[in-house]
Amino acid sequence: MLAEADTALPVALYATLPFWPLLGAVLVGVWIAARRDPSRAHLPVVFGVAVSAVLGVALFVDLGQRHVDPPPATLAGHFESAETGAGRQAREPADTFTAGRAPVGGAWQNPGFTHTLYDWISLGATQSLEGGQWISVNFYFDRLTGAMLLFVTVVSLMVVIYSIGYMRDHHGHPARGYERFFAFMGLFVFSMITLVLAGNFVLLYLGWELVGLCSYLLIGFYYQKPSARDAAKKAFIVNRIGDFGFALGIFALYMFIAPLAQNYENPLDYAVVFKYVAQLSEPQLTLVALLLLCGAIGKSAQFPLHVWLPDAMEGPSPVSALIHAATMVTAGVYMVARCGPIFAGSDAALEAIVWVGAIGAVLAATMAMAQYDVKRILAYSTISQLAFMFVALGCSAPDSAVFHVFTHAWFKALLFLCAGSVMHAMGDVIDLRRFSGLRHVLPQTQKLMLIGCLTLAGFPLLSGFWSKDEIVHAAFEHNTALGLIMLATAGLTAYYTFRMYFLCFHGPKRLPPEAGEHPHEAPPVMLRPLYVLAAGSLFAGVLLGVTLKFSIGGSFLGFMSPHGFFHSYLHDSTVAAGEHAGGGAWLMYPSALVAVGGIWLAWTRYGDAPQAEPDRATFGPLWTLWNAKYYFDEIYDAVCVRPLRALGDFCFATDRNGVDGLVWFVAALPRGAGFLLRFMQRGALQGYALGMVAGLALLLLLWSWMDERPAAPDSADLSGLQGHAALVGRHAP
Amino acid sequence: MMTPFVLLALVTLGGIGLFLAMPGGRGAPGRAAPLLLAIAAALLIAALVRLTAGPRNAWLILLALVGAVGAVRMITHAQPVYSALYFILVAVSATGLLVLMDAGFLAAALLIIYGGAILVTYVFVIMLAQQSGGPRPYDRQAREPALGVFCGFLILSALASYITAGGAALPPPAPAGEAGIGSVANVGALLLTEYVVGVQLAGVLLLAAMVGAIAIARRKAALEEGRRHWEVG
Amino acid sequence: MLLPYLLVGSTLFVLGLVGFVTRRNLIIVFLCTELMFHGIIVNLVAFGRYPLHGAPTLDGQILALFLLTVAAAEAALGLALVTLLFRYRGTLDAGAWTELKEE
Repeated sequence: MLAEADTALPVALYATLPFWPLLGAVLVGVWIAARRDPSRAHLPVVFGVAVSAVLGVALFVDLGQRHVDPPPATLAGHFESAETGAGRQAREPADTFTAGRAPVGGAWQNPGFTHTLYDWISLGATQSLEGGQWISVNFYFDRLTGAMLLFVTVVSLMVVIYSIGYMRDHHGHPARGYERFFAFMGLFVFSMITLVLAGNFVLLYLGWELVGLCSYLLIGFYYQKPSARDAAKKAFIVNRIGDFGFALGIFALYMFIAPLAQNYENPLDYAVVFKYVAQLSEPQLTLVALLLLCGAIGKSAQFPLHVWLPDAMEGPSPVSALIHAATMVTAGVYMVARCGPIFAGSDAALEAIVWVGAIGAVLAATMAMAQYDVKRILAYSTISQLAFMFVALGCSAPDSAVFHVFTHAWFKALLFLCAGSVMHAMGDVIDLRRFSGLRHVLPQTQKLMLIGCLTLAGFPLLSGFWSKDEIVHAAFEHNTALGLIMLATAGLTAYYTFRMYFLCFHGPKRLPPEAGEHPHEAPPVMLRPLYVLAAGSLFAGVLLGVTLKFSIGGSFLGFMSPHGFFHSYLHDSTVAAGEHAGGGAWLMYPSALVAVGGIWLAWTRYGDAPQAEPDRATFGPLWTLWNAKYYFDEIYDAVCVRPLRALGDFCFATDRNGVDGLVWFVAALPRGAGFLLRFMQRGALQGYALGMVAGLALLLLLWSWMDERPAAPDSADLSGLQGHAALVGRHAP
Repeated sequence: MMTPFVLLALVTLGGIGLFLAMPGGRGAPGRAAPLLLAIAAALLIAALVRLTAGPRNAWLILLALVGAVGAVRMITHAQPVYSALYFILVAVSATGLLVLMDAGFLAAALLIIYGGAILVTYVFVIMLAQQSGGPRPYDRQAREPALGVFCGFLILSALASYITAGGAALPPPAPAGEAGIGSVANVGALLLTEYVVGVQLAGVLLLAAMVGAIAIARRKAALEEGRRHWEVG
Repeated sequence: MLLPYLLVGSTLFVLGLVGFVTRRNLIIVFLCTELMFHGIIVNLVAFGRYPLHGAPTLDGQILALFLLTVAAAEAALGLALVTLLFRYRGTLDAGAWTELKEE
């Protein structure tokens, strides 16, 4: 367990992590307001993100100084079994090896510490002397946080530096909205760091929504284009659907935890929730887990809420790289990993995650095979890779999932930024049908893209290989059929990745007219971050994911095994339902074979960038289905959007006709009455006189009816007449 | 006693007849109006016969008839001068009725004042305001005759029903010895003793009226700019 | 004997009323008010001459005398006004004066 005193640098310094990019964004806002020269507008944000990156690396190192244990050779004898829960009392509390694992029914011991900035919302009626229950602004530091922050901050920094070059035209002048871009990027990095660092569910939700907002702002960056505006709205709305479930999950969690929490424990803090979560029953945990899963599906663009991510490619390439590859979409994975104790207690939820992931992986991979837009291929690839991570989460291998998040961030950001470099050179054309043979024109981009593609495809020894292999192994452990499906999807990944690569860079040199006279390589400010990302893609796996152990049979190539340093780093912080054997070395050879085979197959069919599409010929109607993205958008449009719009039209009509009509009617009544009565006021005096006469006549008639008339004319009754006569004269002289 | 139906018939026929007789004719009044009015007059006579008792019947009925006919003709004639003349006829009949009621002084005063003063003034003004040409359009066309006649005769029917309903147990007519009741001496004595304040007030009223009339008549009014004649649209 | 006089008086009054409301010539309208006066005077005198209780009195005649005075005054003023109005608009049409219209 970590404590505040364990860190070398003061925790308060780490607590400032989110605020440096925010400060940068605010300064850029001031810059905009002061209308200063935009070409230097990137400086505050770059500075802010750089400081955060430095602090993020420092945090990663700092948190790893203690209690990092090597992975066990076998698990038996060191772990309790999930089913029996026996031996709990026999466990030594100081044994950090077992401290993090909390099988169902066991007690969770806090692997990190919470640093509170201030108490935000008071929750309540019970205010004891210790301070009562609050929702505070607090940050939770444990190794999962450290691992996430490492790549979030560093990849953000690389993307921001890249953007300095990307958001300019070929002469180096900043594009329109240059400062706005950096302000939003700064805001986004702040939001993402807040999300990762949040120490309670409300702050997590706050960061969640903020990244959604920044995604909307940045997707719709080119707001003059209607497609960009629509894509931004679509992203926000689909995310909102997921967030609705997420919010309900948080409410349910509060409902269950609040009665259990002590007087001074904030019921939505991670520390408190996970402490009491073991006391909840399985149906309760399932409910909460499924609702939280909704949020993860929405944010991480999983089936069935994946429809927003391909459209989100309308935003600039750095946005796609940062938000829709490396950071925001991984928030769902992070959240599920963080809420391990909740998910671990519900088998149904874990199964649901597996299914969601498996279906999403296969669907997205097939859709990626039939697209022509490079960024869209990469978007579907992101969906597919995130689905891999979800499968790992569902198979109770959260550390494998987080490791894949880590490696995926590097190579996917690299791929997106290379695509941006291609776009920059080709005059914003990114359709594969319109150019080919770019290896002659953009040699450096080609090499970087090759590195990224190899990593994504899972070429042996690169980081993607190691992380993906772990996931496939976890799938095999869960269910053999699932493992085979994931292995096949890995092969598909290699295939479509290299289809994209060959169509783009190989074949005859064809350039679109927008490329201009001399399309040239990207400037150094764009390329240098790409080198850093490439280095991460190449070496992160080997450095962090591999255990070096000499064992012919139990390792790859004799001395390399998966589940390396990263796993032991994360060990305490992630909670899984079952136990995971290490090993899986036997799988690495088939994985390598599948990856290389996919690449070779793509080479044979697409190596010379043919104009005709071989796959279309092969798969026929299937290919059309994949190209049309399984008609998901059309289905959603018909099932959801149209009825909602009809409802909206109905409500609008009711409001306009019914409600406004009522108001109009009330206003029209006096008008109508006036119109009807206007004849009495025509100004003709005789008309007024006629009115008086008519009134007199009516009065007389009324009077005569009200008076008692004599029954027969003969029985004279003078009372009426007397009364009237009395008005006329005097009785007596 | 008078049955309600006769009264109703009288009123209705009289009303319709009057309506038809109004200037600005509806349809083709032709013969209808006088016929209806004649029937109504006959009914009026019948009603009066039923109501009266005593030796002065014939005079009463005659004067009443003359008065009614004169009034009808007065309000339906298109030319103002004729209306004034018919009014004099009504004044004469009213005078006669007053004489029948032993109000000699009042009868004389009525005739003198109305016939000699008011009517003369009216005729003067009519002559002064006369414009060349025949009857003006506003004389030839009555204004909402239907509604006016209807309301008016509604009032008449109400009044008539009141009058005829309570007539049975009336006190017997006054003895004939009271013939001089309305003589000058009697009226004058009453005026100067009991109603002297009223006489003074009437004098003041007449003074005010005289002053006002002089003030109004002296005012110089010019025709509004740009208008020689104002025609009713 | 009261009732026939009342009937006659009412008839004269109502006829005057109808004429007042119907005719458009200002002078004739005023003349109809005089007709109404006639009807009233007959009624008044009848009520005085044939009271419901007691002996006949002169009250009706006195009141009618005052009424006559008022009628004369009113006729004078009314005609003066009509003359003035005629000079303003050049017409005797009662419909020429619609300043009180609501438009």
